[in-house]
Order: sequence, then C-alpha cells, then structure tokens
Amino acid sequence: MRIAVCVKHAVDETELKIDSGGKPLLSGATSRMSTFDKNAVEEGLRLKAAHQGEVVIFTVGPSDSKKTMKEALAMGADKGVLVTADTTSIDTMRTASLLAAAIKKAGPFDVVLCSEGSSDTYSGQVPPMLGEMLGAAFTGYARKLEVNGQTARVERSLEDSLEVVEAPLPVVASVVSEINEPRYPTLIQIMQAGKKPLEELNGDQLQPAGAYRQASVVSMSAQQSARKHVMIEGSPDEAAAKLVEALIREGVLSK
Amino acid sequence: MSGAVWSYSENESVSNEVASAAADVAKGASAEPVVLEIGAVRAGVRAPGAKLLLKGPATSDVPPEVAAEAIAKASKQLQPAAILIGATRYGREIASRLAVKLTVGCLSEVSKLSADGNALAGERNAFAGKVVAKVSCALPAIATVKVGYYAAVESAGTAVTESDVGQVNPLVKVVSREKKAAGAVDLRSAKVIVSAGRGVKKKEDLPMLEELAREMHGALGCSRPLSSDLGWLPEEHHIGLTGVTVKPDLYLALGISGQLQHTAGMKDSKVVAAVNTDKDAPIFQASDYGIVGDLYQIVPAIRKALASRR
Amino acid sequence: MAIFSAEHRRLMQMLHPSHHQEYSELLTSLGAFMEKEILPLSPKLDAGTASIKGPRAALFAQGMGQIPFPTEYGGLGLPFSVYAISVELLGTADASIALSVEIHNAVAEGLVNFGSESQKESYVEKIITGRKLASFALTEPASGSDAGTMATTAEKKAGEFVINGSKMFITNAGEADVYLVFARTKKGPSAFILEAPNRGLRFGAELQKLGMRGSKTHEVIFSDCRVPEENLVGEEGKGADYAKEILHGARIVVAALNVGISQLAYGKAVAYAKQRRAFGKSISEFQLIKEKIADMKTEISAGRLLYLYASKVKELGGDFSSEASQAKVFATEMSLRVSDEAIQIHGGYGYTTDDLHRHWRDARLLTIGEGTSEVLRMLIARRELSREL
Repeated sequence: MRIAVCVKHAVDETELKIDSGGKPLLSGATSRMSTFDKNAVEEGLRLKAAHQGEVVIFTVGPSDSKKTMKEALAMGADKGVLVTADTTSIDTMRTASLLAAAIKKAGPFDVVLCSEGSSDTYSGQVPPMLGEMLGAAFTGYARKLEVNGQTARVERSLEDSLEVVEAPLPVVASVVSEINEPRYPTLIQIMQAGKKPLEELNGDQLQPAGAYRQASVVSMSAQQSARKHVMIEGSPDEAAAKLVEALIREGVLSK
Repeated sequence: MSGAVWSYSENESVSNEVASAAADVAKGASAEPVVLEIGAVRAGVRAPGAKLLLKGPATSDVPPEVAAEAIAKASKQLQPAAILIGATRYGREIASRLAVKLTVGCLSEVSKLSADGNALAGERNAFAGKVVAKVSCALPAIATVKVGYYAAVESAGTAVTESDVGQVNPLVKVVSREKKAAGAVDLRSAKVIVSAGRGVKKKEDLPMLEELAREMHGALGCSRPLSSDLGWLPEEHHIGLTGVTVKPDLYLALGISGQLQHTAGMKDSKVVAAVNTDKDAPIFQASDYGIVGDLYQIVPAIRKALASRR
Repeated sequence: MAIFSAEHRRLMQMLHPSHHQEYSELLTSLGAFMEKEILPLSPKLDAGTASIKGPRAALFAQGMGQIPFPTEYGGLGLPFSVYAISVELLGTADASIALSVEIHNAVAEGLVNFGSESQKESYVEKIITGRKLASFALTEPASGSDAGTMATTAEKKAGEFVINGSKMFITNAGEADVYLVFARTKKGPSAFILEAPNRGLRFGAELQKLGMRGSKTHEVIFSDCRVPEENLVGEEGKGADYAKEILHGARIVVAALNVGISQLAYGKAVAYAKQRRAFGKSISEFQLIKEKIADMKTEISAGRLLYLYASKVKELGGDFSSEASQAKVFATEMSLRVSDEAIQIHGGYGYTTDDLHRHWRDARLLTIGEGTSEVLRMLIARRELSREL
C-alpha cells in the first residue's frame, strides 16, 4: 500500500510575537510541524504496519520546511517530497493544487492523509480540495480508518454525530487528533532521518499558477482584547462572593 | 455587483446564520440574497428572502459530496456572485469541493463579511486567535462562514424557485450515522458555561463542577486535555480551536491555563471569569474577572455565595 | 516550560558550535517524551504504586542508554555532555529512574573502556539498548570508597572464579541481568561480569530508602558463586583502578541528575510563591522569598555549568577527576539546599506533601552514594595540591 501524508511547516502560534504597532512578526517566527499533522503521520505509519508498503511525506512551503519533513521521516516515513513555495502569499487552493501535482507525479497512492486543519490558519480546506483534484473519494474528520481490500471504512467525527462511511480506494482522508497517539521518534531514528531521500520540487515549475484569482490576506493585526482584567482578592469566601456580585452586576448570572 | 449571494448549510440553524451573512453581503452591493435548499425545503430554515431549491437528491439529508455537486451544477447555470457556506465539518468540505469544481477562490472561517463590486471581504482569526486577518477574494467567490457569529433572522413564507440538478452518485457511501452519546450538551446555545481544565485533579471531581454549572443554569465544557487526552468528558464538551467555538454570556474557566488553542474557542464570550492557581496563567489575559486560587477552595465558595443569594 | 529549555539549548550552542542544532533536536524530543511518559508517573514511583520497569524500558527504547557509546557497539556516538544533559532531564522527570539508568550505563562504560573485544561484543549493545539491565556491585557492608579493603574474594579454580562475600546498597540488584562485580583475587581487587541467575547469587531484603524509592536496592550475597574465567574484565588486580575510572564519569552524571532534581523543586517553589498569598499579597513579592528564588536559580545554573564543564574536559580527553568531583560535590549539596528551600517556601504543605518533600529525599542520597562529599573533597584537594602552578 502506498500512503501519502501531507504536513505543514507552520508558525508556532505560541511563540509568535507582536510588534509595537500591533502587527504579528511572521518573518523570523519559529515554525514547526503543525500540531495535528503528527496524527496524520502516525495514521500513515499504522496503515503501513498493517498493509506493508511505504509512506511518503508531502509539504508545500519554504525550504525551512525540511525540518518538519525530517520530523515525519524520523517518526518512520520512508521519503519526503518538498514543493517549495512562498506559503505566505498563496491560498488554500494553490496549496492543494501543488500538493496534488506532486502526489500525482510520485503516485499512484492508495491513501492520502492530512490532519483536519493546520494549527496556524485552521481552514480545513486543503484536504477536500485534494480529494476533488485527485478525483479520489474524500472523507474528512476521520477518528478511525480501516482499509479492507479496495475499500476504506471510516468513522467520521461530526459536530453532533458519528458517521460511518465506506469509500473505494484511492481515498483522501483528514484525521482528527483522537484517532491515535503519535509516536515519539527514537534518538537513532532522528539521527538517521537526515539520510532518508528528500526530493525538492520548485512549485512554479511543477504547476504554474492557474487563471483563477486567489483569496488573499489584506492585512493582519493582533487580536484586541477589551477584557477588564479585574483581579479579585481576598479569602476564598470573600473572593467568591465578590465574583458572584460582579457577575450579577454584569447581568450575566440570573439569581 | 450583479447576481445573487447564495447561502447554504446542511444544519438548519447554521443555515439561518449564513443567510444573515448573505443578506449583509447582498445589502452592500445591491444584490439578492438567496437561501439554498437541496432535495427538499426544511421547515427550520426560516430566513427571509428567496429560496432556491435544488432538486434531484431525494431528501434534504445530503452528504457534502452530493451538496457540492448539486450547488456546482446550479452555479454553472445561474452564476451567483458569491456562495457562502456555514463553516461546519460538512460545510468546509462542501465549500472546498465547490472552489475546485468552479475554479473560484475560497475564503475560510470568515465573519464581518462585506462585498463591493469586485471582491468579497471579511475577517478571520489566525494563529489560534492571536491575530485577526482581513481577507479578500475577487468575485465570484466562495467563503465558509464562522459558525456562531451571525444572528439568525426569522421570517415565515418566502418564495421558492426550483432548479433541477439531477442525480448525483457519490463515491463515499454513508453506512450509518448516529448521534454522539453522552450528555448531549449544546454548548453553543448555553448562556453560561463552566469550563474545566487541567487544574481538576481527577475525574471524580467533575460532578462538583457539573453541580456548579447546574446551579448557574449553565453547561459544563472543558479544555482539550480533559476530553482528548484524559477522556474524562466526551469530545462534545471540548471548547477550543479543534472543538466547539462558544460565545456565552458568562464563561467561567476553572483550572484552565488558557493556551491559545483553548482561548480560540471562547474569546468571543461576553464576560469571562477565571480561577487559576498561577497568577501568570495566560487565561487571566483573556478574562474580565480573575481569582488567583485553588478551584477546590473557590468552587465550593462560589456555590455557597450563590446559595446565600437564593 | 519544556524540561529541555532554552537555557539548555544555549549551553549546547556554547559547547558544540557546529552540531548544537542536531543535539538540541535530539534532546528536545527526548525531553518531550520524558515529560509526557515519565514525569506524571514519578509520584507513583515514589509512593510504590507504579513499577520502574515499564518507564525504564520505554526510555531504553527511545535510545536513552545508547547516547555516549561508540557506534560499533550499538551506541549513538554522541558527546558525553549530551548524555549528561539527558540525565539532567531524566533527573527532573524522575530521579529514581535516572539513578537506575545512570548506574546501568556506568557498567557499559566500564566494559567499553576495560573489557575484552569479545566481552564488548557480547554485552555492550545488549546493555545500552536495555535488553540486559546492568548493576554495579562495588560497595560492601564494611568498605566503600576505600575499594582496596574489600572483603569479597574470587578464587580461581578449574577455569572458573569462585566468588564469596557480599555487596551492599546495590542499585538495580535483583532486577539486573548483568552485574559488574568487584572481588579480591590473589593479585588484588578485580572486576568480573556475573550473569544472573546464578546458583551462588542471592539478594537480601529490599532496603527501605529515604528517597529514590522507585529504584530497587538490595544487598547482594555470593556463596560459591561461579563465573567463567573469561568473565574477568581487563587485568586481574586492576579492579580498584577500573572502579575509580568508572566512578569519575558517573560523578559527572550524578551531578547532572541532581541539577535535574533541583530544577523541578525550584519550578514548584516558584509556581507556589506566585500563587500563595500572605498579608494581602503574593509571597513572591516579599524580599526574603525573592532572595531565596534568586539564590536557588543561581545555584542551579552554577551546578549545571560545573557538570557541563567536567563533561567537556572528559570529551577533550584530559584528566577530569577533579572537575567531576567538584561538579558532584557542588551539585549534590546544592540540590539539598534548593529542595530544602522549596519545602520552606511551601511551608506546612512542603513538610506534609510527598510530592514536595520527595525532591529533598531523592537529593539526600547523592552526597553519599558514588563517593561521599568528604571523600571527593579529599580527592579534589589532593589533585589540586599536586598540580603544577
């Protein structure tokens, strides 16, 4: 079984600094594998363990994304394909089309896995777009995934329900983090990950940008918080009483 | 802008929200908002304005693959200026598929939508809510609309036109669908949410917080570790980036440190109060009222204070 | 805060300007593993409600045992300072597992340095990957750092050595598959590899310790315990020298372990000081508490620099016995002060909460074990007085 896993080298939002003018300092911010992508890699490795085959990691991003790919390779993936592109200026559809082109080039694949959304923008659009572009079945938010012969059986976690679906291979799926517990690579795996094959493709050469007009980010600014930040002092009883009083005054607590 | 602004969601109440967004967008650009229905008109979809029923699928319960194909067919025929889809788990798939089928740009998770003659614009959160981005896409455009942001406007009796899109044969077959078990909490409609974090030491202590939630006429939520890592509460209670987004009148965070992944899901609450033992916990930055203390002491004290007012 | 912190990262950069990124990446991953899989178990290990076996095996599976050893014997060939930091991290995650692993690795270090080629091939890889647990049996009921006075004997008979006597306070005893045993032959103290089980090998009852309760400690008793002749390590009669050498390296690691203990006790004290209120304000705003915090932090940094300096001297191939001893004396005594202040800051809660006073109890061992502070001060002074100015 050939398994493709798409990961993103995303800005670590917890480390993101805001400048004095209220703008996020994206250049120079630290990036790492998008939080939920480890679950996608783990699921790929589990499928490989059950069905043999190989796991190939795909990323669209700057050259620095190799760090993230190396992490996925350390976890146990076999090789990586990095499509270089300036991810700050392309939209989800462009990202998906570059991934689709790279996946087709290295294909065919039986299963293509993504996480439900990236930790930086959390759009959740690339996985279904990939499904459409690859002409494959797509099923999102998988919390359980099994392949039997030429059919994938997936438990989808929706807002208020659980849906079991079946789809023919090849299938594109996005996974939720409950699906598994990502493994920790061992030290030797981390040291050897650098030796695994990692192909680099230039995005513009791989797939020229299409004629459609991309969605774009016009400006970014820090979230303004208009919170009151009142710290209530006193013994537990005093503090609790003052809090309840304040909440009643705010009109958010019925008596 | 000419043409219509379509709105759709598979969820009835979200459908009403997205219709409000479409009305906003249409108003600024003298276009017409149109509420889409697929397969059948649903009684719970009561937004004002015209309805367009896409006929072909036999029921209104259509999977995203079918919805996307139906909307794409109608769209190629009728050429709307913009299509707004509720950003549910189904909705994100529908919008993304549509974008590819129509080769049209797609905004995601937007609120404060507007349009001028050329482009659809709006705002969205990025980096787990740390940043607000203004985004834009040339028309025709698609957008997924943030759930819980727009208020539904209800009216009765609107004109329904029909368009036949024929049968769609999806690749993905739904074998079964069942409501998620457990408390069946509806955090999105709760006025008060009492939310538990890692400060809760063991599962057996949760009933104390459930009691408090009940006494405050609210519901119990939690941060991700309690549902996803520890499994103390079902996923439906998880508030945050990958869980439910809520905006109650009162959000009471107990023993929650306030990581961005969590605050992304509650930062639009009207009033936020927090109890945490660490005076530097980031949750206090996201709160109106804060108590530095142990929830095991403060919660009983709050319950006592509430009881004394009854 | 991650247990492999920005501070560690900067130190790696200082020590290894051209490889620090790789080393930091490895330690970040190992630290994250410990934080998730080991740290939460630590109170249970102290209370005796969890076993050391599972988490220790998981650490070996991650590669914790392989770090400083040559690649030809299955090691990772990484610098000793990387290993020392990994033990500091483990000291933070759980001191008793760190103790068990550190002693186990010291046996591997001894075999790499003094064993025959066939001994290295038979044992080193199995030990450092955790397939065989090792134990270091030197101390006796009536002999400690004065290894020359040991009473355990090994008598050569028909191609075998027959060992009689006993060893005291032996970590990993009872659980280990391989013991590095020191016993006196006609030529003097000598080192032997002893594989368990062995008909002549018995253990006393488990010793009830003040701290380090996750690890197992027993008396080890030999009665006509036979080992094949080829299990003699190095030369007969040189055992005391080998033991000394092995312990020099181990002392660096023990210093690191105690820095790790201190770091956790300090972290808890700071968190509590910020939260605890007295006289209407956070106690962290009182100058006397601030002084404690400043001193604790400064001492921890000093301990860390000392063990890393000793590691670097060892890496460069010099005589590091004085530096290793300085690091151990300072870091172990420092960790007692820091964990004691952590109790003080917590007040009555510090004295009555296992999860707070265990750091002091854990720290208490290592001004004694692997060379007492008194013996090491003598060693430092002797070494320094003989140095040419």
